[in-house]
Amino acid sequence: MLEVKIRDVVFSSPVIAASGTFGYGNEVQNFVELDKIGCIITKSITIEPRVGNLSPRIHESKSGMINAIGLANIGVDDFCDKKLPELSKINTNFMISVAGSKLSDYIDVVKQIESSNGAHVGYEINISCPNVKEGGAEFGVDKDVTYKLTSKIRELTDKLLVVKLSPNVTCIEEIALAAESAKADAISAVNTFLGISINYKTGKILLSNKFGGVSGPAIKPLALAKIHKIYNNIKIPVIGMGGISSYKDIVEFMRLGSTMVQVGTLNYRDPKLISNFYDQLKNFLKNNNINSISDLVGKYYEN
Amino acid sequence: MNRNNIKSKFHIVWSMRKWPIKYIHWRLITAYPEGLMYVFKHPFVFVKDVYKYIIWCQEFDKEVNA
Repeated sequence: MLEVKIRDVVFSSPVIAASGTFGYGNEVQNFVELDKIGCIITKSITIEPRVGNLSPRIHESKSGMINAIGLANIGVDDFCDKKLPELSKINTNFMISVAGSKLSDYIDVVKQIESSNGAHVGYEINISCPNVKEGGAEFGVDKDVTYKLTSKIRELTDKLLVVKLSPNVTCIEEIALAAESAKADAISAVNTFLGISINYKTGKILLSNKFGGVSGPAIKPLALAKIHKIYNNIKIPVIGMGGISSYKDIVEFMRLGSTMVQVGTLNYRDPKLISNFYDQLKNFLKNNNINSISDLVGKYYEN
Repeated sequence: MNRNNIKSKFHIVWSMRKWPIKYIHWRLITAYPEGLMYVFKHPFVFVKDVYKYIIWCQEFDKEVNA
């Protein structure tokens, strides 16, 4: 009923824990019902370890949050040695998020992970992080760079290749098309919107990085619009995200074109909440006589 | 602060009691690059941040359950 297939990979549910909101995945292993989540995406892994930006780097805002963590992670060596063997034992699919400052960084990370024989089903290529000084979003705003990067990584792996797009562009569907032409298997969208927070009394800017990425329910209508535009322009599946906090939000994303969805900010509220969607979605389908969750994809009516 | 408000704050804190140490550690280093060391160096800032987080959880729950 809730099974979703992308290429040859079967997911038990269309719900994915978004990168950076579920640790590396093994931190929640014996605490969250992982079999009720379709997939976990690890924190973004870079070639070298990164401490990220100085604190404060998270600010809880109205209807969401703004963060500038700056891709803090343990680096690919430690990831392959310490995390990958543990992750290979978890009770659901997992994908590895990859980030970098230059093209060769992405390639080196994927090469190293490929040689480690992990049980991951694919990679999410993060070309959209707005919180780092070099790389990240720079890749995701240029369709030619997106094409080049995606095709280079495609040459290295047969596993699922998902490209994560930034909403901070004029024409997101152009970037999605470039990734599709380079043989990506799916597009995930959208990463956080660029934002800033300030204390109205003191005038102090609240994040050390000045700018951060806005996520949570506040961005949902913006994200839905971007997903719908992508869906209408490409043929590969879209993995939608942006402010999902209930099963109703998931249905909205699917109706507007998402094959699967990612849940992020909600995990900061409580990482157990994401597994509740499994039964809620099943009940929704049963009560509305819908055989499969995939039947909802692109089912909308215009006014 | 009314009784319901205190009760909901307590409920939020209580729901975190089963968070594994590994997960708490990850949450700490996500917020503060120095992790636990930051908590020892800046205990008041940390307590203030936790209080702000609990209020955020309350607001989040109100919105999600609306």
